[in-house]
Amino acid sequence: MSDLTSDDLLAEYLKVQAQTRRQFVGWGAGGLGALFMNSAMAAAPQPHAVPSALNFARDPATPLSVLPPQFAAKVKRVIYLHMGGSPSQLDLFDYKPVLKRFHGQDCPQSFLAGKRFAFIQGVPKLLGPMFPFHQAGKNGTWISDRLPHLEKQIDDLCIIKSMKTDQFNHAPAQLLVHTGDARLGHASLGSWITYGLGSENQNLPGFIVLISNGGTTANAGKPLWGSGFLPSVYQGVPCRSAGEPVLYLQNPPGVTRPERRQVLDAVDEINRENFKTFGNPETVTRIAQYEMAFRMQLEASDAMDIKKEPAKVLERYGAEPGKTSYANNCLVARRLAERGVRFIQLYHWGWDSHGTPVDEGVNVGLVKRCKETDQPTAALLADLKQRGLLEDTLVIWGGEFGRTPMWENRGGQEMEFIGRDHHPSCFTLFMAGGGIKHGISHGETDDMGYSIVRDPVEVRDLHATMLYLLGFDYRKLNYPYQGLDQKLTGVKPARIVSEILA
Amino acid sequence: MSDPQKEHVLVWDIPTRIFHWTIVVLVALSWFSADQGFMRVHLWSGLTLLALLLFRVLWGLFGSTTSRFVDFLHPPRKVVAYLRGHEKTLYAGHNPAGGWMVAVMIGVLLAQALTGLFSNDGLHFTGPLALWVSDDVSTRITGLHGTIFNIILVLVWLHVVAVGFYLLVRNHNLVRAMVTGRKHARHVPEGLNLSFTRLYVALLLLGLTAGIAAWVFFQGVP
Amino acid sequence: MSAPAYAACVALVTALGLGIAAWTHPAFLHSSLQTMGLEAVPKAAPGSFYVTRIAPLFETRCISCHGPTRAKGQLRLDSFAAAMRGGKDGAVIVPGDPKASELFHRISLPVSDDKAMPPSGKAALTPDEVTVIKLWIVAGASGEIRTIKGAPKPVLEVKIPESDPATVQKQRAPLAAAVTQLQARFPGVIIYESRSSADLEVDASLKGATFGDADLAALMPLKARITRADFSSTSITDASAPTLAAMTALVRLRLARTAITDKTVQALAGLKSLKSVSLVDTRVADAAPLKARGVAVYGGGDE
Repeated sequence: MSDLTSDDLLAEYLKVQAQTRRQFVGWGAGGLGALFMNSAMAAAPQPHAVPSALNFARDPATPLSVLPPQFAAKVKRVIYLHMGGSPSQLDLFDYKPVLKRFHGQDCPQSFLAGKRFAFIQGVPKLLGPMFPFHQAGKNGTWISDRLPHLEKQIDDLCIIKSMKTDQFNHAPAQLLVHTGDARLGHASLGSWITYGLGSENQNLPGFIVLISNGGTTANAGKPLWGSGFLPSVYQGVPCRSAGEPVLYLQNPPGVTRPERRQVLDAVDEINRENFKTFGNPETVTRIAQYEMAFRMQLEASDAMDIKKEPAKVLERYGAEPGKTSYANNCLVARRLAERGVRFIQLYHWGWDSHGTPVDEGVNVGLVKRCKETDQPTAALLADLKQRGLLEDTLVIWGGEFGRTPMWENRGGQEMEFIGRDHHPSCFTLFMAGGGIKHGISHGETDDMGYSIVRDPVEVRDLHATMLYLLGFDYRKLNYPYQGLDQKLTGVKPARIVSEILA
Repeated sequence: MSDPQKEHVLVWDIPTRIFHWTIVVLVALSWFSADQGFMRVHLWSGLTLLALLLFRVLWGLFGSTTSRFVDFLHPPRKVVAYLRGHEKTLYAGHNPAGGWMVAVMIGVLLAQALTGLFSNDGLHFTGPLALWVSDDVSTRITGLHGTIFNIILVLVWLHVVAVGFYLLVRNHNLVRAMVTGRKHARHVPEGLNLSFTRLYVALLLLGLTAGIAAWVFFQGVP
Repeated sequence: MSAPAYAACVALVTALGLGIAAWTHPAFLHSSLQTMGLEAVPKAAPGSFYVTRIAPLFETRCISCHGPTRAKGQLRLDSFAAAMRGGKDGAVIVPGDPKASELFHRISLPVSDDKAMPPSGKAALTPDEVTVIKLWIVAGASGEIRTIKGAPKPVLEVKIPESDPATVQKQRAPLAAAVTQLQARFPGVIIYESRSSADLEVDASLKGATFGDADLAALMPLKARITRADFSSTSITDASAPTLAAMTALVRLRLARTAITDKTVQALAGLKSLKSVSLVDTRVADAAPLKARGVAVYGGGDE
């Protein structure tokens, strides 16, 4: 083994952490000059730099070790159910009887003037709610008939009808929801949270991503669970609920676990020497990740194996072992929550109800998506509740923007199938779990479901509230990068939505 | 026939006179523009005031005899004696009381112009140097700018009352003197020997202070 | 003109000038009278609607331009008297009549209007805030009334708890050595509840069967500070009941998939701070002692 001890490693690591990787160059006089400048400037007080109030330094060998939150948290973990493409709030949660009366009529100019739509052109017709609504639960919450299972859990939900975004296309809107910025390069929700809190189970990734109905990735791609400028060890790990949980995790045929250990030890030694020479913090991360993959070989397969659940439970979720499905992913999410995973992200694609292909029509595709997700979502909530996990878990369900009250007319033509275009001005999202009021609705849109009239909630407000529930002041969960103490919520001030806090 | 030139003696040079009346107009303009919210006009009139006031300070060191501070700033005892009426001396330029009044006014107006540079109106408009200080300091300076305005009002009132006294009670028309530059011989001492600095010096000094004001202006241009 | 005559003229003209100023600027007149003590200064009663709802609104949204440092339009809103006096163009609040009240008129203008208050660049008042002001004016713009029917509830902003590291360290000091020692013995099990707290959280669930009664007993020194404990899936039994019962600060306890029975449940009934317990997949049949105390019970015979 190398003669580098863990303490040496830590000292080197901390010294190198003080310089960003950009400044650290090992070649050229310019590089040395930059190195000098950087260390000189690091020593001099920066008039406009505010030191990060909290220290997230850890032993680099255990980058996901648990750190306490800033103040007492209401929740310990998050399960984010992202409905990619964006579900139509007007056909599920936001009941607009007035819009129903105007169904089929031409959309008034006042709704169109000065606005930019993704696909609507000219004057579309108004589209009322496509499904009947009724009131449910203790507080008479309105819900359509498309979510009969979720309806039974309605008293656990906090439905926010006044979410708003400024992005009207999928990738930037998804990036905004999951990384706090519509542009690439920022750290995702799960990365921030595992950076700030670590993860309880050191044998599993702290941030796991499960995708259903859409291949292997959502519109905005892997950056949605990427670590951005945060150390890459905090990125999300996509796992599969059918077959091998993580591809290439298991040893190739013929390689035993002790042999694997020997290989890893050798690779470890080389990496440590490499770190001693170049000091690249990513090397330490790589060492940690190899070690974790080794531990994961045992634990991940067990965690993801839903065959171990009793038939009763499988039936409740509608899960079928061996397939990839949202139902399977929900059950896996519950198992991961029990096993101390900090952030579990589910993506289910296909809610983009434009009405172009039949599978995306509000009257066809939406129905299918609801059938795929209604029962498992409800089962997940009920299951978490029954096990006493819901009281310290935060569950979020939503898309990246809303859908228009207008009938989409792509290219100005009437469509064969019924659809709605993207609508950033208002969308619906629900939360459930610890620290959140349940059985309530927050915010209101106007009678046509076009704009918010009460209590708008920006995406950054949602993030600030999430971080508050996890025990952080959103302004203090920082990472210094490019001269700025970066925050999930970005540079604009955010508001913690006090009205929904229990 | 008496010689008007001999009857009325030239005491005030052209730069001082132009300075005086321009200040009157600019102070009024500054007041009006601030009141009505014409902040660009306010900025320009304030910066011009700054240039002119700085010029007057320099002129007070290098200008004509009657314009120099050393000519009209007298020790307090003398001022008191003058006000009491114990003195019978005649003064070509400012009398002891008037002299200090002038100094105070220049000082206060300068303070107003300087505080204005760092002020902000709480919305979009800031003085050109407002970004040199923190928001908190700028707001406090803005408060000062408002307070000093009230002091200016009082000083203007005092000044007008004093000039009116000389005009109506002492029959000494200071207003005309500040326009024509000439006082009646009976108001000035015998055997005057005033030196009048050349006009080009005034222009040079004004160029300098205008340059300073311009530099200040460009600090505020992003 | 003689000096006394001149003095008289000056006094007259000045008085006339001030009089005209006062006439055209009633706010100035009243503020001068009030400052001189010639007029009663209206005050708002503590606990009144003005003090609890209107004044905070003015303070956060208006005083930066209508306050002690700056009084645009000569209007100040940093005191009840000043608000009722109004500004350059007179009173801005007409008791009982919002339509005639310039203040209300300005805050009701669409944001795009040049005269809208707060002006563009500053956050507009929410509809609820405008309603609150309207209702207050309708009710007489008084400094006395305490409640107004129909007034929307105030929006509370979340206050992030502050903490002083030195105080926290002092609070942690008595048990600090024990905590460090036990953290070394049980890595990943014990953690402080937060960076600003001396309370502890214990999670042995991932240790599984390797964590038993003896291990739990080892946590006794920390008994008064443990607020959350998770012993699910461990091998503890009823033998740990006394230790658990000694954890007087417990708020949340998880004992799912353990071998405990009703005996432990009875022992827990004495924990005053306990808010929730998980007994999922245990042999507990009767959790009544806990439920009777209002503790949320998961599992334990009610599946």
